[in-house]
Amino acid sequence: MRARRKRRPASYGFGFLDENAKKELRRALMKAVAIPGYQVPYASREMPIARGFGTGGLQITLALLGEDDTVKVIDQGSDESVNAANLRKFFALVCLGVTETTRTTDATVIQTRHRIPERRLRADQILVFQVPYPDPLVVVEANAGKRREMHGAANYARLWTKLYEDMVTFDEITISHRYPTRIAGHYVIDPSPIPRWDVPKLHMADCLYLFGAGREKRIYAVPPHTTAQPLSFSDVPFRVEDFTDEHGKRRACARCGATGTFLDELLAADSVKSYHCSDIDFCTETLKATQCAPSSKSAA
Amino acid sequence: MRPILEVSGLSRIYGPGCPRCIEATGPDAERNVCPHCGSIVAVHDVGLRLMPGEILGIMGESGSGKSTVVKLLNFDETPTTGRAAFFDGERTWDLFGLNAAEKRWLRDNRMGTVYQNPHLGLNLDISAGGNIAERLLMSDVLSYGEIRERARDLLARTQVPAIRMDEHPRRFSGGMQQRVQIARALVTNPPLLLLDEVTTGLDLSVQARILDLILDLQERLGIAMIAVTHDLGVIRLLATRTVVMRYGRIVEGGLTDQILEDPQHAYTQELVAAAL
Repeated sequence: MRARRKRRPASYGFGFLDENAKKELRRALMKAVAIPGYQVPYASREMPIARGFGTGGLQITLALLGEDDTVKVIDQGSDESVNAANLRKFFALVCLGVTETTRTTDATVIQTRHRIPERRLRADQILVFQVPYPDPLVVVEANAGKRREMHGAANYARLWTKLYEDMVTFDEITISHRYPTRIAGHYVIDPSPIPRWDVPKLHMADCLYLFGAGREKRIYAVPPHTTAQPLSFSDVPFRVEDFTDEHGKRRACARCGATGTFLDELLAADSVKSYHCSDIDFCTETLKATQCAPSSKSAA
Repeated sequence: MRPILEVSGLSRIYGPGCPRCIEATGPDAERNVCPHCGSIVAVHDVGLRLMPGEILGIMGESGSGKSTVVKLLNFDETPTTGRAAFFDGERTWDLFGLNAAEKRWLRDNRMGTVYQNPHLGLNLDISAGGNIAERLLMSDVLSYGEIRERARDLLARTQVPAIRMDEHPRRFSGGMQQRVQIARALVTNPPLLLLDEVTTGLDLSVQARILDLILDLQERLGIAMIAVTHDLGVIRLLATRTVVMRYGRIVEGGLTDQILEDPQHAYTQELVAAAL
């Protein structure tokens, strides 16, 4: 029997995309950064994953990565979900020299779906979002041409009217994720399906946020030190998820004990609810720190 | 006294237009489609003067161009030629020389339009209060409490029961939809209101209540209005002055009483005679 030949990576250039595609993407990115919140159209390429599985974010990351970069991929806060793990492996395969990581602090480029890491990102880090629906106005206006006019005129009264209707019907604003957020006082963006918890992190950040919608062929950005205001009424302030239990006490992560993080509700086999940090890396780091702490104390 | 709105030489031609369009159309030619090039001369050389607090009637049959005049003033259509000056307090707006943002601001803040069909003026998928809120939100009123209060106040003024404020206008009667539309138009306290066939299609008792409401609002708020209608009764009740349009031109204008009692133009005579 013949020994199986060692599989070599497919003969793609660095970063899978051809140079012209990367150039076009980088131009779109530059424009997006120059006009915060504006949805820049671009020619979304066919990727080896289906549209809707993060092709927008994938293309941005491929256009950004260089040999000395360290890449992390998260899916709902987890590094180990199928989607995240596969994308990370893909980067390692087509961007030779790039380091994979699951640690937020080590990463230079982080591709994400549905979360912003709990730890504040630094100025040398870039967060790339996978966006399913880039246009927040799509819920109130079906005509794409009119939507573009509305964006140009910063005419968002109809989005606000939707919030008003929410207040009338439910006494609170019921948007749980994709909360419309105004960038630099003009364009309102759909910050991809991040929970409300993460929306304040967009405001005056140190890092660069890039948003890529592969199916809808749009790229937009929230540059560092840019204002990001969630739409709200002057007398009904924007609220994030509060995670208080029935006694009014803030729930803590069952694993690491953190009380300042976004929690996932897990249902065990015996239908007992427990709460865990959604950001697994943050949870692990907190756990390590608390486990180290007593030993260092006893040594002292 | 200074007028609030002054329109002169207003024209709108649909189609390529040719040098003979104007002479070949109009009330004398009895047509508004040019036989040479097929263009439609919807409105030609219309001049209007509206004084503060006054209701000016525009009367005419279907296709006479009266609704086009309102659409032009409301920026729904662009005129072929013509000038319109809107004197709003200290400011004077050259209506047809504005950019898109100025037009939008003016329409959202300083003008109100009530359409014949409530579907055009209202969003039937949001509550009655929401429709009023939308207009306030357009003019950057962002306090939920204030919006609620002003919507409630306006609906009370236009005789919409307060308990129906959070209901969808889809479930309202035609007359009530029309009252919500009027409330929506009035919420920003505009000095100018355009009424396009507001009572057409409503039954007589409802018509009477809407007309009463309009007169009451005019008396109390001193809003200047242009009322477009084909209904002589509406003109008689509302308008102090009236112009009569036919085939895109004004054929006669003056005090309403004068026009109804002593019409000069043959078409007006016919119209008044037909109504009696």
